Amino acid sequence: MNRLFLQRAVAGAINLVIGLALGASIGAGTAMAQGAPAPAPPPGFPVTVPNCGDTLRIAAPPKRMVVHDLNMVEMAMALGLQPSMVGVTGITGWYKADAAFLRRLGSIPELAPKYPTLETLVAAKPDLFFAGWYYGMQPGGDVTPATLARHGIQTLVLTESCAHALGDKPRATMDLLYGDLLRLGTVFGRRAEAERLVVQWRERVRAAARPALPVPPRVFVYDSGEDKPFTAGRAAMPTALIEAAGGRNVLGDVSMSWGNAAWETVAASNPQFIVLLDYQNGQGPEHLQQILQAHPAMRLTDAVRHRRFITLRYAELTPGPANIEAIEKLARALRQPP
Amino acid sequence: MKSQSATEGATAAVASRRHGLRRLLPLALVLGMALLVMLSLTAGSAPVSWREAAAALAAPWAADAGSAGSSSMVNAIVLELRLPRVLLALLVGAALALVGGLLQSTTRNDLADPFLFGLSSGASAGAVAVITLTGDWLGAWTLPAATFAGAAVAAAAVLVLVRRAGGQGPAQTVLAGLAVSFLFGALTHGLVFAGDQRAAHAVVFWSLGGLGLARWDNLWLAVLGLLVPAVFVWRSHRALDALLAGDDTAHSLGIAPEKLRTRAFVVAAVATACCVALAGVIGFVGLMVPHLARRLAGPLHAAFLPVAAVLGGALLLASDLVARTLLGSQELPVGIVTAGIGAVFVMALLRRPVNA
Repeated sequence: MNRLFLQRAVAGAINLVIGLALGASIGAGTAMAQGAPAPAPPPGFPVTVPNCGDTLRIAAPPKRMVVHDLNMVEMAMALGLQPSMVGVTGITGWYKADAAFLRRLGSIPELAPKYPTLETLVAAKPDLFFAGWYYGMQPGGDVTPATLARHGIQTLVLTESCAHALGDKPRATMDLLYGDLLRLGTVFGRRAEAERLVVQWRERVRAAARPALPVPPRVFVYDSGEDKPFTAGRAAMPTALIEAAGGRNVLGDVSMSWGNAAWETVAASNPQFIVLLDYQNGQGPEHLQQILQAHPAMRLTDAVRHRRFITLRYAELTPGPANIEAIEKLARALRQPP
Repeated sequence: MKSQSATEGATAAVASRRHGLRRLLPLALVLGMALLVMLSLTAGSAPVSWREAAAALAAPWAADAGSAGSSSMVNAIVLELRLPRVLLALLVGAALALVGGLLQSTTRNDLADPFLFGLSSGASAGAVAVITLTGDWLGAWTLPAATFAGAAVAAAAVLVLVRRAGGQGPAQTVLAGLAVSFLFGALTHGLVFAGDQRAAHAVVFWSLGGLGLARWDNLWLAVLGLLVPAVFVWRSHRALDALLAGDDTAHSLGIAPEKLRTRAFVVAAVATACCVALAGVIGFVGLMVPHLARRLAGPLHAAFLPVAAVLGGALLLASDLVARTLLGSQELPVGIVTAGIGAVFVMALLRRPVNA
């Protein structure tokens, strides 16, 4: 009930923001039309933002952005960027899109249910593609910042995903979310809004993490896989979420982003809580729970014996606004009396 | 095809040396195997000492069962994860080596193995088809039934193709096998792609294998996978020997080569299906181990196939040990290791003179 109310409240607030943004952009449009024919850079532009070990120089706020994947679309919607979006990709191929999300998306079309092809993207004539490595782009694939640049499309790369492309795998922190929202705000000339949002989020995270736990509980993230688990390592977002909530990812020191681990490592670390990833695709977290309960070593862990499972959606575990709600859920679960 | 007389001549020339080697061979194999098994039980991503492993192995017979929590976890890791995994590696490695040896003899083709003839990819296509399309409609039998159906279709397709093409020319057989293998590989990847693409490790498991599903309650399937070809070899090793001398000689000895070949394919399909249902597609074991075994034990089936089985088990066990420990707490698909070793082996094979 509570969560539903919260979602509606957020949706309402976002609609309001969209309305304002629409008004503002129309206003800006008419002002431009009345001005000189040569488009002068808007105030504050050009801007540069760090971009996966590189810098991205944006001459003017993008007007035709394409965004890949649920978490990044939610980030864009948190800043009310829908009027500047011409398409999304990689939503319905993997998730049952829920009604609230579709309502907020409005009439923005989905260009591809899974990864977009270069052709699909070019045909949509975007000026900016917001995606990441293995979030819509694959190293060596046909859609990369380099191939898109040849068609005049700039790419804003999700910072968490840089660990897949660059050699170093820095420890994930909440700055992966905050930093990316600020970058997005900067690119669209909405830096102040983004900063306000980040301040609110930081406050919610601080509140959720109280009271501080004397010993951080051990948490394991289970995405999928039966012969060996697919999970989150040091550079993946869940490590940051678990730490923000006051816990510790049992694989938080393994030098990888999302990847495969070994069951015996996980079992030997004896997690006290297990985060199950719900892809909302029908098979569901119950199936993951069954695998854990049938596993000869995992069923002996504290988490499985006491059935301490926390189900989180994909968008809650990948960098995006839903991370904040995920931290609140995690923090509540970690603080429940045994 | 090697010249038989040349092989025999070479065998005679080194007969005395070979004789000594052959007497030492079983001892060396058993010792090496024991060492590998002990290493596999103690090494792994979770720290387990030799003493803890020994205690865990003794635990089922120890009087005070329900002891401390941490040692019960070590016991579970050693007894219920690593031990069945070791056994699965031995059984699957042995079965794949036997199947490879059988196929190489019956098709008289040095390149024959379950992978080349599409048996593995047929089996994995069957498994992926039930996983993505139908679900468990036969309970625990679903996966084995599906892998067998896939492997059987692949085996039948290869046999029919080879017969249609007329004769059993090695090139023809290889082409038929490769075509079937690629067709089923395409089907597998297509099914995985159309299903949940995000579960990328599913593709990896069905194309590169893994031994992580080993449990006491599914090992019977691997036992079946080894028993079927072992019994077949035991009963028809003389006929297989005769086939080495050519179809005509075999005919004159009262053996029907076509019939024997078909039966060997059915046996290979059953054994491959059992292996794939538990361990996915593991390449190269079936290809290279029989060659090694022939070199050690000579061309007669009663001699080299048992050696091949032991070597195959040892090779897969060693490969799995590498796969489990190379990257610390991350686990490699075992097929990557066997393919790596196999490729180097084939390169070494190519550098040697033909009749070595």
